[in-house]
Amino acid sequence: MANFEADDGTTRDDLVQRVALMEAMIAEGRQYTGRNSWIFVLWGLVDLAAWAWQSYFWRFGGRWAWPICLTAGVVLTLAGKLMQRRRQGYSSNDLCSRVMAVWGMMGLAMGIYVASAMWTHFDWQFSYIVGLLMMFGMAHAISAMFLRWRMQGLVAAVYWAGGVAIFVCNSGRATNVIMLFEMCIVMILFGLYAMWREPNGSGCKGGRA
Amino acid sequence: MTNMEREDGTTRDDLVQRVALMEAMIAEGRRNTGRFGWIFILWGLVCLIGIGESYLLPQSYWVWPITIVSGFVIQFIGIAMHRRSGNWPSENLKSRSVAAVWRMMGIAIILYAAPAGVTHTIHQIAYIAAIFMFLGMAHAISAVILRWRAQGVVAGLWWAGGVATYFVPRNYVITIYVVEMVICMVLFGVYAMWLERRRAVALELHHA
Repeated sequence: MANFEADDGTTRDDLVQRVALMEAMIAEGRQYTGRNSWIFVLWGLVDLAAWAWQSYFWRFGGRWAWPICLTAGVVLTLAGKLMQRRRQGYSSNDLCSRVMAVWGMMGLAMGIYVASAMWTHFDWQFSYIVGLLMMFGMAHAISAMFLRWRMQGLVAAVYWAGGVAIFVCNSGRATNVIMLFEMCIVMILFGLYAMWREPNGSGCKGGRA
Repeated sequence: MTNMEREDGTTRDDLVQRVALMEAMIAEGRRNTGRFGWIFILWGLVCLIGIGESYLLPQSYWVWPITIVSGFVIQFIGIAMHRRSGNWPSENLKSRSVAAVWRMMGIAIILYAAPAGVTHTIHQIAYIAAIFMFLGMAHAISAVILRWRAQGVVAGLWWAGGVATYFVPRNYVITIYVVEMVICMVLFGVYAMWLERRRAVALELHHA
């Protein structure tokens, strides 16, 4: 094929190089998600533990189940990230930074939302639970767009569908089942899938953007 | 300074070029937010009109659906005109990322608000707080991507509004809603458009 040149002086080789760079960035972004997918598994287990405590061991301080488990989750996440950072170095690829921004801001929004609702005892409302699922779905959807990752897009759709289903079913029992499925099973399964899919990524060391 | 070369063959010039490219992308991303600042103003006004109408017609079930659908129609017409005028902004990676953030937020809000409206759940406090949180989250992600402090402040205001919704007496929730819409939607839209306009004028003067 001829090495054509566009009006702006861009050669075919330039374009091929740019595409290769974009693909490398996307691959690194997915690897970054894979390297951090233990966090999904952790939070799936945290939610499962809180739900089981509240449902089956209510007598043992059941009303503190969620605050205690969520705080433990935050501490474990921060400790894990610290250990990971020490071992693997700091991420600086541009696409990874954007994915980090998505999850970081989602974590912040979620923390503020959950803490306020629990403090004021509004965490029983359907719209509160649906809000959580929608935020998770939004973060997955944005990340899926950044990383061109169909599977993550599917996960986003599952979260959003769960949110809509809670409103439609409009019952406490259905909400519990959907919440358990979404926050525990989907979270853990996606975490395991991402870990399996992107196990040996070089991470995002050394900016390539 | 010498043109030092790193172990991976990256020269100082390469690094300078990359930084310049990143800065250009960030500037372009902010400009695109400014070009679409009218959408913030539009939705701020749509929400304020909706509140006003539901105050005047408290029994009407169709106030919000009609107002929101009108908002979408105006937005689509505006985008079509924008596109036809040939003034459609160029897209780079950051601009596309920011566009993806807003599109996904739009989908999330529609999927949240539509079933809530149909099932009459919009009176719950958590419903309003969640919408503020979605908007704050989108602004915060965009602010981090574009390294834009003003937008970060807007994100903080949305989140503060979400928290306040839980804590204030129910009668004040509507006040918070109106204040958020005026400051974080209308005024932020005006600010973003003003920045873009100022840049365009400066560019014209530079070329003249």
